[in-house]
Amino acid sequence: MLTILARILKVLNSEASPWQIGWAVALGLCAGLLPFGLLTLVILLIACLFTVNLSTFLLVWGFSKALLWLLAGRLEQLGWSFGQQDWLLSLLSNSETLQLLHLHHSLTLGGFLLSLLILFPIAWGTTRLVLKYRHVLMPHLSKWKIVQLLKASKLAQLYQKMN
Amino acid sequence: MIRKSGWLIFLSLLGAIFLLVYVFAGSAIRFGMVYSLEKAAGAEVNIQRVSLGLFPLSLTISDLQITDAKAPEQNLVSFARANAELELWPALLGYYVISDLSVEQLAYGSERRRPGKVYRGELADAEDSGFDFASLFAIELPNADELLARANLTSVAKGEQLKQLAQSEQQQVRQLREQLPDRDRLRELEQQIKALTDGDIRDAADLAAKTDQLRRLKAELEQDKAKVEQVKTALLQSREQLQSAVRDFQQATQADWQQLQSYANLADGGLAGISQLLLGDLWTERLQQLYTVYQLVAPYLPDGSRLEEQPGPMELPGRILPLKQQPYPNFWVKNASISLLIGGGSAELSVQDITAQHHIIDAATRFVLDVQQLPMLQQFRLDGNFAIFDQLQSEVNWQLQGLQLAEQVFGEGSTRFGLEQALLNSRGGLSLNGTALSQQASVALQSSRFSSGDNRYVQQLTSLLNQQAEIPFQLRADGTVTRPNVRVSSPLDRIVADAVMGEAQARFAGFEQDLRSKFNAKLPDTAGDQQALLSLLDREQASTEQMSQQIESLLEAQLGDVRDRVRDRIRSRIGG
Repeated sequence: MLTILARILKVLNSEASPWQIGWAVALGLCAGLLPFGLLTLVILLIACLFTVNLSTFLLVWGFSKALLWLLAGRLEQLGWSFGQQDWLLSLLSNSETLQLLHLHHSLTLGGFLLSLLILFPIAWGTTRLVLKYRHVLMPHLSKWKIVQLLKASKLAQLYQKMN
Repeated sequence: MIRKSGWLIFLSLLGAIFLLVYVFAGSAIRFGMVYSLEKAAGAEVNIQRVSLGLFPLSLTISDLQITDAKAPEQNLVSFARANAELELWPALLGYYVISDLSVEQLAYGSERRRPGKVYRGELADAEDSGFDFASLFAIELPNADELLARANLTSVAKGEQLKQLAQSEQQQVRQLREQLPDRDRLRELEQQIKALTDGDIRDAADLAAKTDQLRRLKAELEQDKAKVEQVKTALLQSREQLQSAVRDFQQATQADWQQLQSYANLADGGLAGISQLLLGDLWTERLQQLYTVYQLVAPYLPDGSRLEEQPGPMELPGRILPLKQQPYPNFWVKNASISLLIGGGSAELSVQDITAQHHIIDAATRFVLDVQQLPMLQQFRLDGNFAIFDQLQSEVNWQLQGLQLAEQVFGEGSTRFGLEQALLNSRGGLSLNGTALSQQASVALQSSRFSSGDNRYVQQLTSLLNQQAEIPFQLRADGTVTRPNVRVSSPLDRIVADAVMGEAQARFAGFEQDLRSKFNAKLPDTAGDQQALLSLLDREQASTEQMSQQIESLLEAQLGDVRDRVRDRIRSRIGG
């Protein structure tokens, strides 16, 4: 747990740009919300080809898998009801590529729809949060005595070691 | 923005995932299978190895043994090797298409090398629904109570309806009586009319006043007449209702009695249907086992009833959307071959096109089971097909030859007799369309030898049976899977009937009498209520008829008298 926290802190304080972290979180979340398949690999490829922060991507991917188990029932319902539209059924029937991405499966379709909805807001929101942390919270926090005390703690030593 | 080493990282990650799956998938599947099978069976499960093949994509399970929790030194099920070859492209699209499935040396109840561990004392096992040839003749002759319980008697309900109708109609008739004009008032009206018609008419003014009075009285009588007519109509309707209910009850009683007679085979003179008595119930029971199979496939039928939801293993939910043209069924085994070890020999089962979505492949699931040269059976071949389109459709044919029947005891009490030896041959076919069943089969006992006790009737019967080179039966069934109507006939029936008619006739007559009296006792007693309503209706109808005639005559009489007397008086005054 401490290691994970240290990793998060490391990323937040690293040279990585806020946009790289923001997109890593968004893509990781999307990958996690989909059952493992070709679509997940496509997202992984995007994450590898663009300079998003890979550690963050992998970390968020892992965490959001738990989210998928929590939301699976609702996502499946969403995919099933959205998938009843004639135009979509015709499109899916005629496209083997879309079937290859398993978009004709209710859960994958539901996960994909949610991913599309949250991708940009999460990327933008996380970027703003990282910027806020770096410019407002971090300088302010470092002045606190408790933080100075914590810096001498085991977590801080671990963080230093990772650096 | 673009990572130069992106492809390299991606391929490395992909390679790592692939390697991880390839190396650990076999063990993971093995552990998963052992865990879930042990949970289901409540006893130790052993799987020697599970391996994944890549070209072609395949899964092989070696040496699977599921301990029988009731007998740990035996296996519930075991097989030496099972192999499934999965087609890659459909699998990438999310469909499970297995081109070849083979199971070798599948056995039930085989000896274990060492006793398995048992985790649950009482295994909640499904009832054995397999076709048990050994119990084919383990039957009991029916008795009156059983037949009455088996028959769905409609006359009981009809009788109750009739009884209730009679009671409610009696109530209504009594209420109708209150609507009739009061007899005292009628008498008063009669007297008033009499006074008018008998009295003298003094002059024209008196005539006008009396005519007016008569008109008023006539109007009152007309109202009373209308009331009486209404009551008459209501009484008539009531009588018709009662007649219709009585007719329904009588028809239902007759139909029920005929049904009971057919169940007991009394309609044709008693012993004419001894084969039905011997095999009828048993065959019905065997056919009803089809219902178990039907329930298994029912969830896949478009409007079929669903089995109760069972809590399954933890897995992500998901359904394939109803595409306009689905390229493959969700699950499809193209070819399956299973070798079974049974009864000291082996059997081969071959199945093609196993799926629940036959409309996509436009073909039915076909199967052939071939059993040959077992110690207790010369040959058994079962072939057929089934498909789930709008509803389940299935055709099955079988041919059984030389099944050695073990020593058996038939019937009970005075009708007990034993089968010492016999060879059973059978040939037949069965078709199922939804729940509609149609089946015909011939069964023959060869080289049979029966033994009997002290009963003279049974001695005659067994002696006759022992003289036959072959005892043939014809079995036909139709109706629904849940309530098949089974008819069993045999040329032997007539021979047996003629031979033992004298003694058996008395027994069957007694049985019929017993059945009739128990049936009558079951019917509700409607006679009292029915009779009470009928006599009430008779009384009321006679009374209303009388009242109607009385009013009619009053109306007619007063008009005629007044007119005549006025005419006479005018004539006498004129002098003509």
